[in-house]
Amino acid sequence: MLERFIQELRTDDPGSETPAATRERLKARFAPGSTRRMTLLGMLVGAALGDLPPAGDEPLVYASTFGEGRALEDYLASFPAASPTLFQTSIHPSGVQQGLIGRQRSVGELFPQAGGRQLAVQALLTAMLAPAATVVLAGGEERGTWLVEANAVSDRTFAYAVRLAREPGPRALGRLMLTQEAVTGALAHPAWFERLHRRQPFDGAAAEGWRLQLAWS
Amino acid sequence: MASCAVYSSNHDSVGLAAWGCVTPLGDAAGTLTALLRGERALRAVPVLGREGGDPVPLGLLNNRELDETAPPSWLATIKSRFGPVQEGGWGRPRRPVFVTSSNFGVGCLYAYRRSGDPAFLPFGALPDCVEWLRRELGWGESVTVFSHACVSAHLGLLQASRMIEAGLADAALVFSFDFLSPFVAGGFHALKILNADFPAPYQARATGSIGLGDGAAYAVLARDRGDFTITAQSLHNEMYHFTANRADGAGFVAGLAPVAAVAAGRRVWLKGHGTGTLEAGRLEVDAFGRVFPDAPLVGWKGSLGHTLGSCGLVELALAVEAMRAGRTPGTVGSAAPVFADSVALESFANGAFDGVVCASNAFGGAHAAFLLSHA
Repeated sequence: MLERFIQELRTDDPGSETPAATRERLKARFAPGSTRRMTLLGMLVGAALGDLPPAGDEPLVYASTFGEGRALEDYLASFPAASPTLFQTSIHPSGVQQGLIGRQRSVGELFPQAGGRQLAVQALLTAMLAPAATVVLAGGEERGTWLVEANAVSDRTFAYAVRLAREPGPRALGRLMLTQEAVTGALAHPAWFERLHRRQPFDGAAAEGWRLQLAWS
Repeated sequence: MASCAVYSSNHDSVGLAAWGCVTPLGDAAGTLTALLRGERALRAVPVLGREGGDPVPLGLLNNRELDETAPPSWLATIKSRFGPVQEGGWGRPRRPVFVTSSNFGVGCLYAYRRSGDPAFLPFGALPDCVEWLRRELGWGESVTVFSHACVSAHLGLLQASRMIEAGLADAALVFSFDFLSPFVAGGFHALKILNADFPAPYQARATGSIGLGDGAAYAVLARDRGDFTITAQSLHNEMYHFTANRADGAGFVAGLAPVAAVAAGRRVWLKGHGTGTLEAGRLEVDAFGRVFPDAPLVGWKGSLGHTLGSCGLVELALAVEAMRAGRTPGTVGSAAPVFADSVALESFANGAFDGVVCASNAFGGAHAAFLLSHA
């Protein structure tokens, strides 16, 4: 069994807020002028991580099923005159790199993860197997536009960052346990976010062969 | 700036039980033979495929078209060449799969955007592409996906090693692929590093240039198995700039140092990233010289092109084949003058070496390295 304790948590669910309004709400979290080329996902994840910056040798796991949906759409639309800026920002880890580059914050281990129904557990496994006392797990999705109908980008927007520790400490917010069992199930990324955002407990199959238990203090 | 944080991990008990790759020059053994002959896979191809554009150096599998097909034509090659990937009950909790790529099926999204043909859609989105591969290759649901541009394969190797070391897996399959399309060729062309010139890694010349190549590879990791082991792995992310490194080369050194600590006392040769860009090439050569003085350095992207997210695993398979063959290909495509005397332009016998350090770099100043040695 793998066990970690939630030490810090930030979540952001813009709900029906427009992308422009979200950008306006978050821009003060970044250096003046630095948000012009940032994506919405980059700002959301960057803001969440701004409260929980990876420190020293602390590993960082980044989870996103689709990554940079809008940058991908805009880059595709830029052809035949391909945009170099959109090409850079359309790559999967861009959502977590933008804020870190803006703050000039180097990281030792960075694990950008993608995937479908198993993503939450696979990202937790990566975080829990990192040989460090604490790990930051960040993630998010960004609602796209013309590729939403094709299910090729996310249909909703959210972001989170959570610091996991091996020891409970005096102010643990919650406890996570992963156990290898003969179970089949899935916990999709949005559903995992909801558990964090609403601080809802979970106990069940969250991936093939893995039972996840999430309890809040 | 935060501290340059790096981890090294020792995996002496995790062996390389099987490996393989495919490039435009053939399978691992065939590609090695071609590299030793100094062959180049790269050809001048219009950057936007059938839509034209500037000719740029690309290495395409089986002379396929740059434009994607639906379903992608490269799957047939994977199925015919990668038997171990399809056999053995992969994708179960005790036999997990780690899929790594930078572009996945995005060439299909490009084709959909340009043609409007919905036949491309089932393969385009990242999770859809992985799900399609999972079904086609007979894997179960235990599939972890990493995408960190051109160091993606290293992440799969590291997490697979940790799963085995922790006793959570009996064996692990790391599978990596990246196949070119106008999407990625157009992007690097827009960045002006994919141009009409062919790449010449580590060569001191006026203009830098890269080539791009199709590539796929796999590695099976298992406890106490195989003649080779990935003895140490390290990661470092500068977060200085999306497409530039710190000018002092500290990021390159930070990425190599933990592996160097494990390699101390061993005689190693070096397989660098070596895409053909000038600034990164100089920094890489300088860092290797500081961390591994006197070790010979080679790069193979002057022949194969940059196989992007798969390069770490493609070049791992080639490094293993080189160690088995007793001969390391030189830096194909390059000529004097080079950035340092350590750059080996010609092939050399490697029987007197204890192992090889393989390194890859990526956007965001990402650095990854591992030490491959005899078990």
